[in-house]
Amino acid sequence: MLTNVTRLDLRLRRRSTIWYAAGMALYALVVVVLYPSFRHQTSLNGLSGSTAAALFGITGPLTSPGGWLNANIYGNFFPLIMLLLTVGYGAAAVAGQDEDGTLGLVAALPIRRRGILFQKAGAMAVQALLLATAVAICVLVGRGFELSISPADTIAVSAAVVLMGLDFGLITMVVGAVAGRRGTALGAGAGLAAASYLVSSLASTISGIRPARYLSLLYWSAGNDQISRGVSAADFAALFAVGLAALVAAVVAFGRADLS
Amino acid sequence: MAYVIETCGLTKRYGGVTAVSDLSLRVEAGRVFGFLGPNGAGKSTTIRMLMALQRPTEGRATVLGLDVAADSVAVHRRVGYLPGDLELYPRMTGREHVDWFARSRGGVDGSFISGLLERFAVVADRPVRELSKGNRQKIGLILAFMHKPELLVLDEPTSGLDPLMQHEFENLLREMTGEGSTVFLSSHELDEVQRVADRIAIIREGRLVAEDTVEGLRRAAPQRMEVRFARPVDPAGLQALAGVTVTATDGPRVALDVTGEIGPVLRLIASHDPVDLTCRPADLDELFLDFYRQPPEKEVSHAD
Repeated sequence: MLTNVTRLDLRLRRRSTIWYAAGMALYALVVVVLYPSFRHQTSLNGLSGSTAAALFGITGPLTSPGGWLNANIYGNFFPLIMLLLTVGYGAAAVAGQDEDGTLGLVAALPIRRRGILFQKAGAMAVQALLLATAVAICVLVGRGFELSISPADTIAVSAAVVLMGLDFGLITMVVGAVAGRRGTALGAGAGLAAASYLVSSLASTISGIRPARYLSLLYWSAGNDQISRGVSAADFAALFAVGLAALVAAVVAFGRADLS
Repeated sequence: MAYVIETCGLTKRYGGVTAVSDLSLRVEAGRVFGFLGPNGAGKSTTIRMLMALQRPTEGRATVLGLDVAADSVAVHRRVGYLPGDLELYPRMTGREHVDWFARSRGGVDGSFISGLLERFAVVADRPVRELSKGNRQKIGLILAFMHKPELLVLDEPTSGLDPLMQHEFENLLREMTGEGSTVFLSSHELDEVQRVADRIAIIREGRLVAEDTVEGLRRAAPQRMEVRFARPVDPAGLQALAGVTVTATDGPRVALDVTGEIGPVLRLIASHDPVDLTCRPADLDELFLDFYRQPPEKEVSHAD
């Protein structure tokens, strides 16, 4: 069946997916519920603009709905949790399962290697979508707590963060398929993601870093205040292009990988 | 003759390390082919190349007439595989493993699987992490046998099985070959292989050192001679004879292996005033140990 590998991997990641989604949803719910208590504290707006604030993803006025969500969810925790999920799965799905000795049995089934890889990419997308949906629902609940945020923008940013997570997850898969080691894949994926986050968050306050922001996938997803400005076609195009290139590279690398 | 497995110059190198070197094998249909070698000899690497899990550095392999690299999906459809270091999903039960693999293959006979589960007395309803090595191995065997494959590639299949289950496994092998399946079975234990295999290949340090039937190997075994002379002798003369290896000297006692003609040896011994002489064929175990120990440069022993 065409989705057997996807379903198997989703089952293997069931607990972590649920915990990631439930934890992040709970956090998002607390953030939106607290908004009415903070929205009139304009002194908080003074926090933004500093390098330290930028490091935490705070780039605009904290008391506006977009600023509040950006500073507490979309500028930091949500992308980071998404990256934990996708980079973690990207490292486990190929190199990790090969190190565990289970991937060989699956690869010895009458399924093309690229079919296995596509199904694993599908499993990653399902996990990322579950997380993003849980967060988006909780953020939209915020409309009942004075967070006047556009549902379309919320869904668009969630989709952009999903794409960004898939990009890094697929890049991690590529490294795992080439190196054959979970640790190497995890290190490379996490390292790239951390660099991307730093560049995206500091670009707003450090002019020297500013030109490099276009290299950051965080910048193209939620790091450019997309929750307030909306996600542009260029943002989506950049995220899609990187994802497609990473998927092709992952298919090629997995097709050539020596499995145990 | 069409061979079920045919490899030609199969070689696998990892960086500077050669795991398998220039391996050429042919396995006939309906036979059990034993693939013997010490740990680290290259058995599992060879099997992984046959299963298209690893790409050969050089050479090629065909399985069931199909190129392994180009037609891996078709090969996998017709082959049952048990890896040497079998690992299953710890939280899934044996039943869940069997169901998942059956679904993934499609068209698997459920009653045959039920029969196998019963026959091997598999603990199917507990998570694999709670099972013994033997019970996990039985699940692995069922995953390999479930679709009644034309070829079974089994890497150390009886590892962890108790004698009763080993016996059951051997019976199943005979039934499968009786129905036309071919078995390629690796092991580092001679006893296991010689009970079931029609033909044996021995691999050492990645190179094929012998390939023959069990009887053929037995016939090729050296004669073990022990001679006691009236006085100490220089063994160099004996060592110089073709097919003679002096294995020990202790004063007037000399032990030697003879693989060539025995006449010249006896004549030389007679000229040195022997007091006592015993001669016996080497045990198969000794023969295999010799193959394991021999340097890889030794000529491959082939027989049809």
